[in-house]
Amino acid sequence: MFPNFRQAMAWVHTWFGLVLGFVLMACFFFGSLSVFDREIDRWAIPASRHAAQPMPSFDTLLQPIFRDMQPSKESLDYLRDRVDGPLPARFDTVRSWGAYTTHRDPVLSLFTSYEVPNARDPDDAARGNRTIDPRTGAALPDDRLKIGSQFFYPLHYSLNLSWKDLGYWIVGLAGLTMLVALVSGVVMHRRIFREFFTFRPKKSTQRSVLDLHNMTGVLALPFHFFFAFTGLVIFAGIYFPVTHTQLNPLHEMHEKLEAEETGLPHDRAGVAAPLASVDAMAAEAQRRWAARGMAGEVGLLTVSHVGDANGYVSVYRAGTDRIALVGDGIHFKASTGELLREDPPRTAVDSVNTFLTGLHLQHFRHWLLRWLYVLGGLLGCVCIATGFIFFVEKRKKQHAAAGSQGSRVVDALAVTTVTGMLLAALTILIANRLLPETLPAGWPPRGDLEQYLFWAGWALAMAHAFVRSAPVAQGRPNPAWREQCWAVAAMAVAAVLLNWLTTGDHLARTVFIDTYWPVAGVDLFLLACAGLAAGAARRLGRRTAAGVRPAPRAEAAHA
Amino acid sequence: MTASLASRPRLHAALRVAAAVLGGYAFCWGFIALATSGLFALGMPFHDAEHLGSILGMLLYLAAFLWAFAARRLARVWLVLAGGGALMAGAASLVQRTLL
Amino acid sequence: MREAALLAAALAACVAGMGWLALAMETHWTQVRPDAPTRAAVLRLRALGSLDLAAGLALCLRVDHASMAVLVWVMALAGAALAVGLVLTWRPRWLRALAWVVSRP
Repeated sequence: MFPNFRQAMAWVHTWFGLVLGFVLMACFFFGSLSVFDREIDRWAIPASRHAAQPMPSFDTLLQPIFRDMQPSKESLDYLRDRVDGPLPARFDTVRSWGAYTTHRDPVLSLFTSYEVPNARDPDDAARGNRTIDPRTGAALPDDRLKIGSQFFYPLHYSLNLSWKDLGYWIVGLAGLTMLVALVSGVVMHRRIFREFFTFRPKKSTQRSVLDLHNMTGVLALPFHFFFAFTGLVIFAGIYFPVTHTQLNPLHEMHEKLEAEETGLPHDRAGVAAPLASVDAMAAEAQRRWAARGMAGEVGLLTVSHVGDANGYVSVYRAGTDRIALVGDGIHFKASTGELLREDPPRTAVDSVNTFLTGLHLQHFRHWLLRWLYVLGGLLGCVCIATGFIFFVEKRKKQHAAAGSQGSRVVDALAVTTVTGMLLAALTILIANRLLPETLPAGWPPRGDLEQYLFWAGWALAMAHAFVRSAPVAQGRPNPAWREQCWAVAAMAVAAVLLNWLTTGDHLARTVFIDTYWPVAGVDLFLLACAGLAAGAARRLGRRTAAGVRPAPRAEAAHA
Repeated sequence: MTASLASRPRLHAALRVAAAVLGGYAFCWGFIALATSGLFALGMPFHDAEHLGSILGMLLYLAAFLWAFAARRLARVWLVLAGGGALMAGAASLVQRTLL
Repeated sequence: MREAALLAAALAACVAGMGWLALAMETHWTQVRPDAPTRAAVLRLRALGSLDLAAGLALCLRVDHASMAVLVWVMALAGAALAVGLVLTWRPRWLRALAWVVSRP
């Protein structure tokens, strides 16, 4: 199909980059925001703006809450068609309780799962969850959307499109495309070392945009490659569910063997038993970690087969000081507290796997590295955005001469995915501050409304981008870029002001008087965005006033 | 085959894309299945075999994808990717049967 | 505090290191100084640049566990290269000090 390897790679880079680039923008942008997802949660839920807490006492604080919990409405709705008979009013056979906290979370997440009587699939479970203030046990209201960890974060790996896991598959293809684009990009880039530090903004638009595209792609190439690659590895079980389909018999056989080897029972015994002091077990686990030279906090606590003689408690160490998702689980018999098993040191393969997944999932405590991750992610966004802009710049004159609408459509889509996406993110933050705390009866939950407004904001930005794109069909720039940049600047400042007006947490307070970096960080980041957007808008305005610069044909000679 | 494809560039491109995406997928499925069952049969812990298979499989998908576009003859691409994938998957099921 | 100081020093080392490596390329040297670089200067720049980047890694290793330190360093390299690239684009004279270190009058 192609005369040589380089041309083949150029074709793949251009067309797959263009089509999947729109998805990748969302992955990289919301992925960057997800580095500080819990901090964004604090901004969105003012009631949770207090310091992070260690795991509280299980016996006195958590146990009564767990006993009170029941499956969520979503879980029950999901199960209704999967049972032969009615669902019980109360689920009493508890498969597991789990409590999870991180060094960044002032709130504690609690999870429960229950046996479902009459279920057609024996593996089905009813699930409950609750978020509490670990100092008091008080629950957060259900309809508060954690905009960071429950919206932006899942958006970056599933586009929040869960119908038949379609979003996961689209993102998966996009991730693979990123790897393909990086390799093909290197093959195409003839002067990769010579132009390593090169950015020439004073040359033609095509040349400067290409310089920036190359720079942001090459300088952070290891980052881009590893994030796309580790993302695919993390969801490999979804993309290639081999062990749950073709090799399921082998998997089942192994589960039984493993239960026998580890001494952690796979099933309930059917005999009731009490629960010994879990606090004592957690303390013992911490003593054992310290004895191994790995002193740490409890990150995850689970109780399996609750209330049964086969019940066991697992205590996992919080992963704060290493890249690898540190587990070091220690397991105790639930009824007596006797030690059942200390997870052995990892095998070589397991170490590699947890390093790769840990690199992406970032449970570690390292503020500089987190900000460097954000930088990497934003460089990825710039790389993709400049890719779109280069595509349009290179073709719009020819398309204008031929009367084609191709460049116009691509340009409008580019505006939608670059500035439009920023506007959508700002819309949800502003909606979060403007919507009343309690909504009138009959209205959708507050969290759902915020999400609708996010998508509506994005759709509006898209409409604006298309409506204003007529000049592109004549080979001129789309004014929507400049207009949306101004809108971004205005809305970012508005969000910061609204935070001040609705919560009293203005920057002077969150930085100096009553320092609270999660909220200060979000506000400062918003102001920086506003500054950059305003600067970009001014520059675009000057360029339009001065007239479009011609693109010399000798430059940017790419396929 | 090649003569008619050369005169229909859109169809050729579509078939290349299909070979890269679908053929590549089939090839990697076969690889992951064979790696998981094979390494487990050779004594590696099950989850290790699973993870190693997936890690290598993703890199293999990248390679297969690029090759699907770089290779001269499309027919060979389909044969190697789809055929190879099927062979490896078949071998994996055989290994599973001997282990159970 | 000590950790913050070490990390800041590591970042500075990476920026300087990238700066020296950039100056080892004639296009960028001539952005900073009017004369052409001598062969000896180019070799000295490359050596200085590489050593400084290694020093950056050593500083990172003083702060964190090895696996984390390497990651911090790799990301710092990207940030440093970006900083040097942007400085060369808009304020190349800021790199004069780096060039002065290798040149002999």
